Amino acid sequence: MNAQISAEDVRAEVQRFWNILSGKSSENLESLYSATALVFTGRAKRSESGPLAAVRRSRQMSGPDASASSELDSIEVQLAAPDVAIATYTYRFSSTRTGKTGGREQRTTLSGRSTQIFQRDDKGAWKIVHEHLSSAVPPKLETVARTKPEGITKPEWGKQ
Amino acid sequence: MTGSTLKEMTRPASATATLDTNAIGAEEVRAVVQRFWKLFATKEQGEFEKLYSPSATVFAADARRSEPASLMLVRRARELFGPTAAVAAKITTIDVQLLRSDLAVASYAFHFSVTRNLPNGKRVSSEVPYSRATQVFQRNERGTLRIIHEHMSSAEPVCTQELAGT
Repeated sequence: MNAQISAEDVRAEVQRFWNILSGKSSENLESLYSATALVFTGRAKRSESGPLAAVRRSRQMSGPDASASSELDSIEVQLAAPDVAIATYTYRFSSTRTGKTGGREQRTTLSGRSTQIFQRDDKGAWKIVHEHLSSAVPPKLETVARTKPEGITKPEWGKQ
Repeated sequence: MTGSTLKEMTRPASATATLDTNAIGAEEVRAVVQRFWKLFATKEQGEFEKLYSPSATVFAADARRSEPASLMLVRRARELFGPTAAVAAKITTIDVQLLRSDLAVASYAFHFSVTRNLPNGKRVSSEVPYSRATQVFQRNERGTLRIIHEHMSSAEPVCTQELAGT
């Protein structure tokens, strides 16, 4: 077991998180979090338990017509201690799912900002112990057609 | 500024396994957070800047990307430490996660009120009732807690009002 985390390890963990959130991986999102993790999700007015937020996100993304995509910019890593690292980066994220009114809603975050703090647990696994996601500008919310045209889940980020 | 209900999150792992008399305590972190806002509100620029590690990184509330704290401090000095600027924060709960004996994370929601001077000479005022902060503290070689990373944001879009007579 390597005690010292590397910046590349951290970047791989961050990518793992987004692969799950984008539906590219069937791993359990909850497993990425420490049991005592605290998170600020994009629109939450206060922090909440990381595992609870993960369960909610998984439920929201598990609908039959839910889809999502993400794109990350370069991930900056501060190795704060041999077993603690802070990842900071900006991102774009788009998710489509059935809204509360029954229509399909696409939410696009174009200026996402993320801080994720990782710590090695007693079993040697890296877990998110704190997360703060926010947006420099409000996410764009659109109603989209129920029949999903091909390619709609992958926005052309550069053209928006 | 108020401080009421305080919660503590401790990790029952190696961080608490050994007795370290110099280990960070949750109350110590909360005291530094309160001091941070007191120095900010009273514009004690020199002491305020000392709260940051020279290598700290920051997501300012309205910034699109992270930046070195040194850059953010120059901007804050220009916009928020002038005689006509004003800053106030009402904090209720400060959560503290003790990650190691020398490393802790403070996170809290707060009501932020700010009047700032923009580079174009205008004065603007904002009320940000749903502000959120994450501050990572590390004890340095002198035994002082310093911010090594900070992320400020708002849960809702911020409305800014231009002040008359500016």
